[in-house]
Amino acid sequence: MQMHKITTIAKRDYIATVRTKAFVFGLVVAPLLFGGGSIAMTFFKGQPDLKDRRVAIVDHTGVVAGPLVSAAREKNDRELFGKMTHRQIAPRYVFEVIAPAADSKDQLLALSGRVRRKQLAAFLEIGKDVLRPPKPAGDSEEETSEKTNPDTRVSYYTNAGGIDEMRNWLNGPINDGVRLTRLAQLGIDIDKNKGLTASVTIEGLSLVERDEKTGEVHEAQKRSEMAGFFVPFGVVMILVMIVMVGSAPMLQNVTQDKSQRIVETLLGAATPFELMTGKVLGAVGVSLTSSLLYVLAGAFAVNALGIAGLLPLSIIPWFYVYLLADMVMLCAFAAALGACCSTPQDAQNLAIVLLMPCIIPIFMLVTVLRQPNGVLATVMSLVPPFTPILMLLRQAMPTGVPAWQPWVGLLGVVVFASATVWAASRIFRVAILMQGKPPRLAEMVRWAMKG
Amino acid sequence: MDAVRISHVTRTFGSVTAVDDLSLTVPQGSIYGFIGPNGSGKTTTMRMIVNIFYPDRGEIRLFGDGRPENSTDLIGYLPEERGLYQRMTVQALLEFYGELRSGRGVKAEVTRWLRRLDLAGRASDKVETLSRGMSQKVQFIATVIPEPKLLLLDEPFSGLDPVSAEAIRSAILDLRRHGVTVILSTHDMHLAETLCDYIFMIFRGRKVLDGTIGSIQDRYGEDTIRVTASGGFAAMQQLPGVDQIRDLGQVVELRLTRGADPQEVLRALVAQARVTSFSLTKPSLHDIFMRIAGLAAEEANHANA
Repeated sequence: MQMHKITTIAKRDYIATVRTKAFVFGLVVAPLLFGGGSIAMTFFKGQPDLKDRRVAIVDHTGVVAGPLVSAAREKNDRELFGKMTHRQIAPRYVFEVIAPAADSKDQLLALSGRVRRKQLAAFLEIGKDVLRPPKPAGDSEEETSEKTNPDTRVSYYTNAGGIDEMRNWLNGPINDGVRLTRLAQLGIDIDKNKGLTASVTIEGLSLVERDEKTGEVHEAQKRSEMAGFFVPFGVVMILVMIVMVGSAPMLQNVTQDKSQRIVETLLGAATPFELMTGKVLGAVGVSLTSSLLYVLAGAFAVNALGIAGLLPLSIIPWFYVYLLADMVMLCAFAAALGACCSTPQDAQNLAIVLLMPCIIPIFMLVTVLRQPNGVLATVMSLVPPFTPILMLLRQAMPTGVPAWQPWVGLLGVVVFASATVWAASRIFRVAILMQGKPPRLAEMVRWAMKG
Repeated sequence: MDAVRISHVTRTFGSVTAVDDLSLTVPQGSIYGFIGPNGSGKTTTMRMIVNIFYPDRGEIRLFGDGRPENSTDLIGYLPEERGLYQRMTVQALLEFYGELRSGRGVKAEVTRWLRRLDLAGRASDKVETLSRGMSQKVQFIATVIPEPKLLLLDEPFSGLDPVSAEAIRSAILDLRRHGVTVILSTHDMHLAETLCDYIFMIFRGRKVLDGTIGSIQDRYGEDTIRVTASGGFAAMQQLPGVDQIRDLGQVVELRLTRGADPQEVLRALVAQARVTSFSLTKPSLHDIFMRIAGLAAEEANHANA
């Protein structure tokens, strides 16, 4: 193996890629594609539907609707207009209290008709027994009958789809109203004890630490959702984005060299292993270039948002180790697959196979975020193709991981990446000059084993 | 020392034997012509010498005991199916190939070769803007930079206009004068006859001819008569001692049956037409090629019919 051949091929591929308009375009478009969803959500959240939300209330208790209407009025006074702009920023909640009719079914049908005609957004039916506290737990039969009894609950009728903000909001004032009424029935003066139903805040804090040098005890820091979710998620998505954007063109690149008959000329001057390794290194170089840009942009953004402290800096070397390993693995795999394709269409069909090591961990992100040190998260993060993404995610979370796990994961990744390069170079060597139908998986495995 | 020594090499692809127990020796500093019909095994043999394919059996040694896998730096290979990076400039592309093989800068050599093949004015143009002939010349330069010890050219003249072909031909001869061994494959028998020191013909994976053009022709003896006569091709029918008649246009070529007397043929010919020229020669390479490959093709057609 001659290093100068590998570096010459890597240098050519690198320059050819970074000089293209597609690369520059991809640098800008990829973050928009990956972050597009959240950007759009933020944008549309700022553009709510300001039409009045009219809701009818059929209150069989006769006392719960009153506090609810007051709560809606207070909410409208508080949130309807922007403090700075004085423009309406939220829809007005309007309640219409309707006395229960003798024929309940007819009344529900009539109100449903009004919702269908869009005269109402929804209507509420407050059961006559909601004020009666449920029986203490124990009698399961009685408990079940209480849960199924419509008189002990509040029914919310609507044909609205998706996330219904109104329903979420109602939960608070209705329960407050019910609790306060129950307390009032017990003889407590609720006007003097308005804070009785107020919620208490649960504040997330990090652990208390003792400074090893000074012996001083550091107080626990406030931990936000940001630290627990968005920062690890963001770090991993940057990795996924760079790896996917960096490795996907390799498939096309090799197929193109093959279909344009460039490969045979190259193979006259370099061995298949040198050629493949050079191509892989070129792609790794491209991804390092884009990573530099994204990491710098990410650091700038984190700094600008004032959340720099939430990112454990020790994660950055690991980020690059995993980035390199993942790129080598995927690019070698892509080169082997590309060598098996005769046309760009064949390559396109195989692209999904190539992205599997990225897609499967993405499906697991939520599971790992919920239980970063659970058995499933631990095991999956030690499976080499998934280690770069899942282990990095676990490492970036405030809980951290046992110190041995990243090293064991890394060992697995290095062994697996080496095996991938070895097998890929054997497939590459056999397939690169073949034309016609792409080989079957069994054939590729045979080439990898026997060369 | 021999530049290439191929010993009992066999290469199969599935159930097809592309090269079958081939042995061949290419002397250093010679021009060796590989001829044979399409699919006979020329390209597979070349690819094995360049180490693109590995033999299933047998061995190939270069310049003594060198193995092909350790000798890629000594070889310049021009594949039959040409391919160049279309978006690169001519200069950058040639420097890339030169650097790839030698590990050093080759700017001066690139400039010299571009000038020699009349491409100096296109150095900064992208390859995609070149004509087919120009691209082929660029690919030839990519093969000879830096100067290899062994040059393998698969169909180097196909698609070239006479001027470009002459420039390449002159370059090949010049390289040979500098001690470079050249192996080239061609379907142009006249070119093989005039350019090559040795001819190797492969047919259905097996060697059927190998040697200098003289030694090959000697094997067939002086069994060919070239004649021009009034009445042309029609007047040559039914001649005694003639196995085959081939109309070349201005000249008619007669192949004698084994042991036939040319004088008898001449006498019979004079009796039925006015002869203006008559010469007894050895068969041309084209004729020999046709005798081997054409006969087999006829047999195959009969078998299929």
